[in-house]
Amino acid sequence: MVDEEEIIRVAKLMKIDLEDHTEHVSRVKKMLEYFDILDQIDLSSEEITSQEKSLTELRKDEFIPNDKKLIESLKNFREHYVRAPKMN
Amino acid sequence: MNLNTSILKYIEDVKSGLFTVEEFTAATLQRIKDVDVDVHAYLSLNDSAINDAKLIDQKISSGGKIGRCYGFPISIKDNICITGTKTTCASKILENFVAPYTATVVNRLHAEDAVITGKTNLDEFAMGLTTEFSAFGPTKNPWNLDYVPGGSSGGSAASVAANECLASLGSDTGGSVRNPASFCSIVGLKPTYGLISRYGLISYANSIEQIGPMTKTVKDSAFLLNIIAGQDVNDDTTIDNNNVNYLENIEDGIEGKKIGIIKEMTSSDGLSSEVSTATKDAINDFESLGASCEEVTLPTIHYTVAAYYTIASTEAGSNLARYDNIRYGYELESEGYEYNSYISKSRTKFGPEVTRRIILGGFVPSAGHAGKYFLKALKVKSKLISEVNTAFKKFDYMISPTAPVQPFKFGEKIDDPVTLMLLDYNTVTANLTGKPAISIPYRVVNGLPIGMQIMANSLEEKSLLQAAYALESKTILPEVPL
Repeated sequence: MVDEEEIIRVAKLMKIDLEDHTEHVSRVKKMLEYFDILDQIDLSSEEITSQEKSLTELRKDEFIPNDKKLIESLKNFREHYVRAPKMN
Repeated sequence: MNLNTSILKYIEDVKSGLFTVEEFTAATLQRIKDVDVDVHAYLSLNDSAINDAKLIDQKISSGGKIGRCYGFPISIKDNICITGTKTTCASKILENFVAPYTATVVNRLHAEDAVITGKTNLDEFAMGLTTEFSAFGPTKNPWNLDYVPGGSSGGSAASVAANECLASLGSDTGGSVRNPASFCSIVGLKPTYGLISRYGLISYANSIEQIGPMTKTVKDSAFLLNIIAGQDVNDDTTIDNNNVNYLENIEDGIEGKKIGIIKEMTSSDGLSSEVSTATKDAINDFESLGASCEEVTLPTIHYTVAAYYTIASTEAGSNLARYDNIRYGYELESEGYEYNSYISKSRTKFGPEVTRRIILGGFVPSAGHAGKYFLKALKVKSKLISEVNTAFKKFDYMISPTAPVQPFKFGEKIDDPVTLMLLDYNTVTANLTGKPAISIPYRVVNGLPIGMQIMANSLEEKSLLQAAYALESKTILPEVPL
């Protein structure tokens, strides 16, 4: 059984304001309950596989100067710095 | 002018001088004006489409070098970037976002003289199966405006089906090209992972999503694939396709091929009787084309929807963290807010489904829960890949209906998240395994379409398109009643 308090805690960590969003919590809970189906499959001999690529196959690690337009499209900036809200 | 034509026929007609690119573009824009007020396939239109068409006409009349597309009109899903134009992902959070660069797929279309008609509607950030989660209102199914067009590339599918363009590009993370293709009676291809560059596609779940062509005919999909497939220096996940010509020998047929009928997808609880009957008929058609069909069981499929939503949400939670409204976004004065509370406040602009996926995407990989959800989902993915690879040692193709049901009415399924998730049951396997799969229009029953899905082994698109063409040649379908 998934704990609703835990869902609310994770939502805050994901920077989701849950005020007036109780419906979200119940729907996420329903989805998580469906995911319990994953408990029924035997995965004891399974390894997690991933696609690998050697470093030589990656694109060159080159510095590409920013287009001035990129800076100008920022909402709030001074010179090359983005202005963000204050941190407490 | 007949707008219900294929790309290949259009090119033939432009070459023979039957009409100019400008005339066809103008007629297409008029069609959009006439029907899109009802269909709502487009979120924005390309104001320079007529000028683009005129320039191509000038090239043709002056004997200049013409790109392979000859100015055919194509729409683009609004999660694919085009410099200087809005790319909203059908989200309020990107309502005024103007893309600073162009996606590789669009650059390749421009280089071959395609005319972009505009950007099409989708479920917000491509999360959904009906377009009901678009922040700008749903798209309607051109076959019956009371019904959903499928999703998330529902605007793309509807724009093609309603003759508001000749083709579209969509993106497919769990079925988002194939499902709306099936619901709107068009062809939709999800290629092998890495075959088409994702550079310029706004990320949702990078490890499984692909851009795919959505067209009226199988040959048109092959034609588009010839243009947009192949390696891209800007996307390190792209793979070399050895410049395969997907159109060449497309009519070769499937005589002697072996087809696996996926048991889990053709006998599931959610399968409607109409879709089940159509599937049996399709199997008969494949046999009459000289292929041998045999049932194949892939037991891990039962767990794929849970694994898919776990993986997709995890990646979405990470990808959507960038929407903090600081570097770009909508106007929200930061004065009076602390850093974190400002971000949380700005993120209330996300719609309900995206909000839920972000929460889910934080929960399933988190410490204490990853073992139960995310790590298990990755293992299901591995197990599924080996099961499917084993099956492809025996079979050339595996088939199923694209969706277990036909299009349904707006509001009918939106309240039950599990019912919605299970609509992906037949499509997520191709995403989790990286295999190519295509949806082909097969039937129209009670005025609503049914599509068949064919899946092939990695990089076997050429063979996949041959099978799709063979099945397409067995079908006679009515014209869209719009």
